[in-house]
Amino acid sequence: MSEPAAPPEPAGSPPDSTRAGPGRLLVAVYALFALSASARAGVQIATKFGHAPVAYVLSAFAGVVYILATVTLAVGSPTARRIAVVSCSVELAGVLAVGTWSLADPATFPDATVWSGYGSGYGFVPLVLPVFGLLWLRRWTKRASRRGLGS
Amino acid sequence: MNGAVPTTIIVAGLALAGYALLMTARNRRMSVPLLAAVGVLEILLLVQVGIIVARLAGGGRPAGLATLIGYLIAMPFIPVAAAFWGLVERSRWGPAVIAVAGLVAAVLMVRLHQIWPVIHV
Repeated sequence: MSEPAAPPEPAGSPPDSTRAGPGRLLVAVYALFALSASARAGVQIATKFGHAPVAYVLSAFAGVVYILATVTLAVGSPTARRIAVVSCSVELAGVLAVGTWSLADPATFPDATVWSGYGSGYGFVPLVLPVFGLLWLRRWTKRASRRGLGS
Repeated sequence: MNGAVPTTIIVAGLALAGYALLMTARNRRMSVPLLAAVGVLEILLLVQVGIIVARLAGGGRPAGLATLIGYLIAMPFIPVAAAFWGLVERSRWGPAVIAVAGLVAAVLMVRLHQIWPVIHV
């Protein structure tokens, strides 16, 4: 095999942005969910809103949160990181709340959202994604405060 | 409809994901063999889009036509976007992005079958 070996990651040259290194994977998965959640919600609201209004509005909300997280993680400035922390937190709260709600009151959800059953329809990725997002962002907050940048 | 193409895409997508994750585990960057494999996946997806479009042109209609059209538009962009985003990354996380594209391609075939059962897997 002729794959070029990645340079070892010395402590002196960590990823230089929230979109680099493991963040590259995170942004890719977030972009995927931003696209699928918002496109799905758009189709559902446009074609059969009355069928499951609560589920579709929640899907649309999830889509907006995913778009926000994708963009802010990809931008990676101090301000964008703060918005990303809020997005990921809202996302985690959302998947836990909607997950519980969908199990307690299935009648409100004749059609599934991304967050129904804690994201079981999507391999529970919606549940673990905000956790990884927050862990990744926490690393950046720590690094910034170590450097005394105060961001 | 013959399910050979979707089945091939599932196998190819999972194989690509496995190979890409192996590269991530071995701390390898994006490579020519990996890009070539992404190219093969892209061709397979385009063939699948062509088959479905031909079936729509022949008068077939699924219940969720809007969703199906959304899938047809989005499908060919998955490998292209992943290749771009993976190439920008100069570390082991480039192949990890490619692994996602492989898994997504496989999942898409299952979803296509759910949207329109005449698309066999």
